[in-house]
Amino acid sequence: MRCPAERDAHAPRASIIVPAYNAAATIGETLDSLLAQTFADFEIVVVDDGTPDDTLDVVARFDDPRIRVVRQANRGLAGARNAGLLAARGAYIGFCDADDLWEPRKLAAHVAHLDASPDVGISFAGSLFIDAESRPLGLAQSPKLKGITALDVLCRNPIGNGSAAVVRRVAFDRIAWRPAQDSRPWWFDERFRQSEDIECWARFVLSTDWKIEGVPGLLTRYRVNPGGLSANLEKQFESWERMIARMAEIAPAFVARHAPAARAYQLRYLARRAVAQRDGRLALRLMAQALAVSRRPLVAEPTKTCSTLAAAALLSAFGREGYALAERAVLRARSQFA
Amino acid sequence: MTRKVVHLIDDTAPGGVMRMLEHMANGPALGRSHSHEIRRIRRGSLMAPRLNADVIISHLTVTWMNLPLITGLRAVNPDVSIVHVEHSYTEGFVASHAVPRNRFSTLMRVSYAMFDRIVAVSAPQADWIRRRGFAPAERIVTINPGVDLSPFLALTPCLELSPRVWGLIGRLDAQKGFDLALRAFKAAAGSDETLLIFGEGPERDRLVALAEGDERIRFMGWAENPAAAMEACDAVLMPSRWEAFGLVALEAQAAGRLLVVSGTDGLAEHQRHGAVSVGANTVEAWEETLRILRAGNEAERILRGRQRARRAAPAFEAAWLTLLDTVDAPAVLSNAA
Repeated sequence: MRCPAERDAHAPRASIIVPAYNAAATIGETLDSLLAQTFADFEIVVVDDGTPDDTLDVVARFDDPRIRVVRQANRGLAGARNAGLLAARGAYIGFCDADDLWEPRKLAAHVAHLDASPDVGISFAGSLFIDAESRPLGLAQSPKLKGITALDVLCRNPIGNGSAAVVRRVAFDRIAWRPAQDSRPWWFDERFRQSEDIECWARFVLSTDWKIEGVPGLLTRYRVNPGGLSANLEKQFESWERMIARMAEIAPAFVARHAPAARAYQLRYLARRAVAQRDGRLALRLMAQALAVSRRPLVAEPTKTCSTLAAAALLSAFGREGYALAERAVLRARSQFA
Repeated sequence: MTRKVVHLIDDTAPGGVMRMLEHMANGPALGRSHSHEIRRIRRGSLMAPRLNADVIISHLTVTWMNLPLITGLRAVNPDVSIVHVEHSYTEGFVASHAVPRNRFSTLMRVSYAMFDRIVAVSAPQADWIRRRGFAPAERIVTINPGVDLSPFLALTPCLELSPRVWGLIGRLDAQKGFDLALRAFKAAAGSDETLLIFGEGPERDRLVALAEGDERIRFMGWAENPAAAMEACDAVLMPSRWEAFGLVALEAQAAGRLLVVSGTDGLAEHQRHGAVSVGANTVEAWEETLRILRAGNEAERILRGRQRARRAAPAFEAAWLTLLDTVDAPAVLSNAA
């Protein structure tokens, strides 16, 4: 599909789309981090996704002509990104959620990467996890960067989170379509309220042959929200299964062959989330399910798989206090090796 | 002067390729100014034949197995122009099969280097070949395939009523995505609607199981007379997962049938000529599309499609005549040697 946004001589080279919903507490810091980019030829498209709080007041305090606001009734994260894509004018488009932060050199790194690699459609980098007060948690996502295959995307989601990717517009427009229920094009599938990122990346890799490739560095600070409910993990797994069913519509043979391994990785991921939420029984159940569907995570990544299993077992056997002691000991030991 | 054209096919050549070759050999202008011979070569054969021809047209599938044949062909026919028609590969195919990128790129570049011209069968396929750099842009030509459309053009077009009989026509293979349209039909169609499925192939059992005895869905088997199959339908659905061009689309338009396509690869090109696009190629989107179309009348689209089909045969002949007249002595080998 042709990009519907107008292109003019004054269009910036890059656009950064910031979907905002109930983000008054964090969006100021997010915009600060974007305006501090060393590569300056960009616009920021803040999408007010019908937010009920005073996010927009915070945005209005910024006096920078590069910031634009697009408003719409609430459509969810995918819908907000789609609105941003429709409005964006740059040849390169980045996404940054309104609670995450970009390192100052992030945009420069991706622009250089996309300029130098004309066959790359999605450029991404690793992320550092931060807490509610923006303090590093000592944990990072440092995914595989080169030679990314469809299998990598399905099993390990190297792009990692919604604030890590900068895409090439012409490549990304290849996956856009006009759904019957909407007059605007969709890039992200708005039927998904969860798993919308992985759905989009997986669809990109299974329907175009543009490359997905990473650049070194932990260039996003990704905010991990504490708490969360175990029930949400179950819902998350349901939406992940819907994503897999969607991919089977595109690539049935590939999905039939690789879904078990991908499912095992996803269950292990959810088990780790359950550990983070201190729900040992759920974590253990998810790990048992993971190992039952495929042994691939165990063979390919034995340390990570076994440690998740151990954490789940520890948590369910000794409860929160016992686990907290063990976790502190492990983190201390790890920081000595790091 | 009559030039001698030899067409090479291997035993994997689909029926559509054979019908296109017949059309070339018998076309009023093409058939008169060139003599056409069809040579069948065993897939993976190591012995490339020395051919008495002015132009060789390869309809072979580019594979590692066929690479010795393709390179051998160039070597033993150094003074003959070789044109390759890319019937197989598309972006949708390599993406949905997660074909290893670098290996495939090497295969394509090496093989295409043996040819003087690469004929892409649709504009989207040509764009993809160009973007991936499999061949230099000046050696890529786009020519839509052609077959004899006169039996289809002779049919009375379906202009009056909203469609009630939907057709799926083609090989029962995952490529064609008939499962998507079948599932959508089951969920969305009314009791007065019918789905006719023409063709045979490896997916037959799975499709029959999906239909689950739904009496509105009928498996018609392989259609000996494609125009008669087309006549039985009001509209033709093409939910292909990948498709270099899709001859059935052209036949449906010639027959004056409403054409509905997924936007995949070469099928995107039909949208410019009156075909309805389903949007995303999902069961849900097909359901929605069937509901909309059964309530409407798309006569204008059908007429546009028919006009396009009328122009197709002369355009096909003119493009091939130009290509055969202008294809030069092989530049590749002299560069490489």
